[in-house]
Amino acid sequence: MAFLPDESRSLPPPPLLNKGSVWLGFVGWLSALADNAFNRRPILRAGVHRQILFTTVGYFVGYQLLKRAEYVHAKVDREMFEYMRHHPADFQPTGTW
Amino acid sequence: MAAALRAVRRWGLVAAAPPGLAFTRSAFVVKKANYAQPNWLGVGLALWTSAALWALLIRQHNEDIMEYERRKQAKGRKCTRCS
Repeated sequence: MAFLPDESRSLPPPPLLNKGSVWLGFVGWLSALADNAFNRRPILRAGVHRQILFTTVGYFVGYQLLKRAEYVHAKVDREMFEYMRHHPADFQPTGTW
Repeated sequence: MAAALRAVRRWGLVAAAPPGLAFTRSAFVVKKANYAQPNWLGVGLALWTSAALWALLIRQHNEDIMEYERRKQAKGRKCTRCS
C-alpha cells in the first residue's frame, strides 16, 4: 500500500499546528541539542542552524505521519461501521446477556 | 588515545570511519573541528533546506485543503451516516 493512498485526500487535512508535528519537531530539536552535548558544544547556543533544520524535518515528517494515522483510523472506522450495518442484530441496545 | 583505539576496535571500524561521532573518534581519521569560524556552507545548506521544507509543508497543506473542499463539493450530501 502507498504511504498516503488517493482516498486519504478525501479526509480533512490536519491543521498546520498538530500534535504529530509538534511532538516530532520537539524530538528533532532535542536530538540537535543531544548532538551538541555529545560533541561538547554549548547545548542551547551552538548550532542554531542545526536545531532549526532538525526541528523542521521533524515537523514535516510529523505532518505526513499524522495524515497516514488519520487515514488508517478512518479506514478502520469505516469498516467497523459497515460491519455494524450488516449485522444489526449483534448491536441492539437492549440484548440479553 | 588507548581508549579511542579500544573504541575503534570494539565498533569494528577501520580507517574509513566517518568522523563526527564523539564516542568513535580516532585520532587517525578525524581532524580537529574548528569552531572559531562558522562553517558557512553547512549553515547555508541547513537554512536553505529548512526554508524549502517549510515552503513545501505549507504548500502541501494548502493543496490538501483545496483537494478536500473540492471532493466535498463533488460528493454533495450523498452520504450523511458515514464518517
